[in-house]
Amino acid sequence: MTVNRSTFVGDSRRLVAEAAITALLRRPRYQVVRRQPQSRVAILRVESYSQKLGELLHHSLEPFRLDVRGKTVLLKPNLVDYIPGNHINTHPLLVSAAIECFRRLGAAAIVVGEGPGHQRDTELVLSESGMSDQLRQQKARFVDLNRDELIETPLRAGYTNLERLWLPRTVLAADFVVSMPKVKTHHWSGVTLSMKNMFGVVPGAKYGWPKNILHWKGIERSILDVCATVPVHFIIADAIVAMEGNGPLNGTPRSLHRIILSDDPVAADATCTRLMGLDPAKIAHIRAAAQFLGNFSIERIDQLGEPVRAPVSPFQLLPEFEYLRETNFNLIFGC
Amino acid sequence: MQSAQLLGLACVQALVERQMPEGGWPFTSPAKQMGIEPTALALLALPSSLVRRRCAAIESLLHAQNPNGSWPAFSGEDQQGSGYTGLAVYALNECGEQTAPTNRAVRWLLGSRGWESHWLWQWKFRLTDRQVRFDPGKFGWPWMPKTVSWVFPTAYSLLALKRARADSRPRPREFRIRRGVEMLYDRICSGGGWNAGNGVVCGSALSPHPDATAVALLALLGEFPNDSVTASLDWLEHRAESLFAPWSLAWTVLALHGFQRPVESLIGRLCAVVNPVEIRDSSTLAVVCLALRCAHGPSAFRAGV
Repeated sequence: MTVNRSTFVGDSRRLVAEAAITALLRRPRYQVVRRQPQSRVAILRVESYSQKLGELLHHSLEPFRLDVRGKTVLLKPNLVDYIPGNHINTHPLLVSAAIECFRRLGAAAIVVGEGPGHQRDTELVLSESGMSDQLRQQKARFVDLNRDELIETPLRAGYTNLERLWLPRTVLAADFVVSMPKVKTHHWSGVTLSMKNMFGVVPGAKYGWPKNILHWKGIERSILDVCATVPVHFIIADAIVAMEGNGPLNGTPRSLHRIILSDDPVAADATCTRLMGLDPAKIAHIRAAAQFLGNFSIERIDQLGEPVRAPVSPFQLLPEFEYLRETNFNLIFGC
Repeated sequence: MQSAQLLGLACVQALVERQMPEGGWPFTSPAKQMGIEPTALALLALPSSLVRRRCAAIESLLHAQNPNGSWPAFSGEDQQGSGYTGLAVYALNECGEQTAPTNRAVRWLLGSRGWESHWLWQWKFRLTDRQVRFDPGKFGWPWMPKTVSWVFPTAYSLLALKRARADSRPRPREFRIRRGVEMLYDRICSGGGWNAGNGVVCGSALSPHPDATAVALLALLGEFPNDSVTASLDWLEHRAESLFAPWSLAWTVLALHGFQRPVESLIGRLCAVVNPVEIRDSSTLAVVCLALRCAHGPSAFRAGV
């Protein structure tokens, strides 16, 4: 049998990933359990980004019966950088639609907050991505989480051994946190979805650009610690145009024509992964988060919109992540 | 459009109004946590005539210094040291404060290094962890201890060491300056310019950023001119044509001015886009002040001695 470099790298990566999953599962280190008996996910079919998203979103949120009246809602989009032609950020029109919806639902205050991890100039990302215009139109407040006032916060899980993180006051003061990821592949963690999106609440002013300590402590472990500490109450994932290949910055746009809504970050990420044609059980942080942050198995997820269907062709991946593909769809979709 | 001088005065006035009673500046107004970067940049930006304000800023910086000689990212955080230490030293030195505290800080800078410099991690990066293209033998300074080197903290540290008193440990100082300069050249993006410090990841070239490019170029002032610097200046000039964000635009002015490239039109654009009242970020306000000063006088960033 001949083994080429690509196969060798793929197999090595698979072994390392399996070891990581085993380590995370064997040594649960969480102090909080947020998993509900049953989670809800809605997959919406949307042809393109348009001004009509607000109405669609509002209508689609009804079954979730979100009670945000009088609450401060933090919308946390994924703003990484601005690269012309690359769909790397949550689309401004979707953020605008979310602002509109939560206002209609009676939120007392809506704050859009993000701390880009790669680009120091948050204002540059906001203006060049078109987000500033939408925020201005909506008269919405934006907080640069990289430079907010910080509060030392004990972590509610101990996967990184960091014990504490300095976190933005705006995040800690929010009553209702909405993670709004762009659905993308990721060259370190396989995928970047609603849980990985929460890296953006870790402030660059303290931890630098990029937030390198989270990489050194293990991306999967850091995701678990951050998400255990900052509860995500709702997810609006942008997969109208997603990204495949060498994400999160240099991948290729991939039109999925979907928005994923959920009241559970694990269920949302597992569903997004399935929509990408990947197996969520092979993604360490999703698998480990299913122990305490949400539901991962199909049986525990109520599908409110259209059913989960794998794409005709799964998302392109870097060779190191080829093992995330699962050819046995029965296993992934439980059908 | 307002003149650079008038806008400069308005920005200084805005800075003065945001100075905290303790003498420092927060990252964003009206927060109450003193940030080291905004305070050091504001200290550089305050005109020498504002003696009391400058003294208060110097006092607040000295007060925030860690026992090991480093500076934290902001007042009240842990005492391990941060990537802003170089900038604090540079600002204090530029204000004539080359005293025991800055000497201690220089010693800390000489001992602080990115983790890729450790032999164990060098093996890791050379053998197994090769998604990011970089030479771990060429190291600079990290944002925080036990992480690898990045462009901003390395550039800040180089600025500090190059301007530090020549008699403060010349050989290790020279060694770290050379390694830091090598690290910057190693992390350059293909086609010139820098981003946070990842030029090529998983075989794909990443785009440079104006602010990181400008700060790296300022740190390289006084080095022998070469193609990498020329390509980076050309990229920055080209990128500046479509740049409107005050932080990046102001750093761009400082870098191009430092290399004697024309900046009049960029200063004109700064005057058109900046309203000091609308800038909540103290660091941005301070860098805008420093950039506007280039219209009629020397820059706060000069080649090292």
